[in-house]
Amino acid sequence: MSSLSAEMRDKLRKWREENYRNSEQIVDVGEELINEHASKLGDDIWIIYEQVMIAALDCSRDDLALSCLQELKRQFPDSHRVKRLVGMRLEALERYEDANKLYDSILQDDPTNTAARKRKIAILKAQGKSTEAIRELNEYLEQFVGDLEAWHELSELYINEHDYAKAAFCLEELMMTNPHNHLYCEQYAEVKYTQGGLENLELSRKYFAQALKLNNRNMRALFGLYMSASHIAASPKVSAKVKKDNVKYAAWAATQINRAYQVRERAVGTKSPLI
Amino acid sequence: MLYGTGVSHQCGNCEWRIWSDFKTMTVKLTTQAYCKMLLHAAKYPHCAVNGLLVAERQRERRRDGHGVPVLYVDCVPLFHGTLALAPMLEVALNLIDTWCKENRYVIAGYYQANERIKDFRPNQVAEKVAARISENFSEATLIVVDNSKFTMDCYEPILTIFEHHENKWKCRDSTGDCCEDWVEAQKITAALLESRSYENLIDFDNHLDDLRNDWTNPEINKSVLHLC
Repeated sequence: MSSLSAEMRDKLRKWREENYRNSEQIVDVGEELINEHASKLGDDIWIIYEQVMIAALDCSRDDLALSCLQELKRQFPDSHRVKRLVGMRLEALERYEDANKLYDSILQDDPTNTAARKRKIAILKAQGKSTEAIRELNEYLEQFVGDLEAWHELSELYINEHDYAKAAFCLEELMMTNPHNHLYCEQYAEVKYTQGGLENLELSRKYFAQALKLNNRNMRALFGLYMSASHIAASPKVSAKVKKDNVKYAAWAATQINRAYQVRERAVGTKSPLI
Repeated sequence: MLYGTGVSHQCGNCEWRIWSDFKTMTVKLTTQAYCKMLLHAAKYPHCAVNGLLVAERQRERRRDGHGVPVLYVDCVPLFHGTLALAPMLEVALNLIDTWCKENRYVIAGYYQANERIKDFRPNQVAEKVAARISENFSEATLIVVDNSKFTMDCYEPILTIFEHHENKWKCRDSTGDCCEDWVEAQKITAALLESRSYENLIDFDNHLDDLRNDWTNPEINKSVLHLC
């Protein structure tokens, strides 16, 4: 296989595995790969058709989406996975009723089809029906309690509705099953901070610190530690000891932040705005 | 000059309405500010985005009804995705405020482009941040990008401007254009969209991911200047 097409193939794989939504680039690379190098792709071509089709929908390239879809339909005529793609195209055309009918037919055939259920929830989201989306997603999670992506989606829906307590609950589920994931820790801390109140601030400071322990380059965690400790230290409700401790934490965080910016200055060569 | 809402006068056989500057834009944007706002929205078409608008600091602003419009000279893109969390917003406001002071600017406005195309109303986040900005700059405006009008060619201005009146954010008549030089803004924004310059636009989220990312966007500022 020529190195160019191998490089393109690797790019697409990386974007697929890491779930990037850089649809314009996927369309650029994918379209060329399909048009010029299809013969070299082997069985990979089907997953690439799927990836490019979805990206094409994002870029309003219905022509490209249709041609990918046709290839997939031809190869996998009775596939639910392909049917879901047909549904996604209907969604992109805002034909939500037709899309829902399609997903319902998949679910009639296979009630455990999680992809179809998620698309139905996505439709509710697209229509601005956040309350219904939240309700459906909760029902889904009662059945599929281990679906991390769904818990994360639910936490985001709650955050957008300013229901921080429920968002925190979702993130707690995620942290329980992924105790080493610094991002969940850090997001949980942000939610607690936003909820406000002394108790939540202290919790947020603890989780920012935890996120930092798991990944000492997480700038959000570092900034969060500084902000939460500063707020606690400034609160009139805390004891002298708590105040003293938090002043110390904030000072430590500030030093680390300044150090990080100094390293950055050396790397970039220009002065940056500091605290 | 009469201030306040439209008042009609009868003068002989003719009647004419005297409007206060309700019809004239009290807000103008430089090409750089307008451009970067749109590039931010274009970079993340599937997300809500928000950011701050800055004006030059003046020692005192005249408080008469036909004041000079506030000129937004630059824009600082903030976040994409989840906008409703407080800590990083506070960090951003602090850092950007410091930068403003060093550059004789003041944070004077806020913009937001919502996640869904047809959603062009300011939400709770927008109102909260804009209110916060108003504490420091009483004429702060809240700008919402009308996603449904957003095209590559930028044929029309796509901003809806909200001002604070009687404790509510009220939409200003948006038939006027809000750019200092609309023809220039339209031409340059279209050119930068075409060349996909939005891929290089840096927002505060990008900065937090990697401190080397510069949210003042010097490269894009240079591109705008070159095209002027």
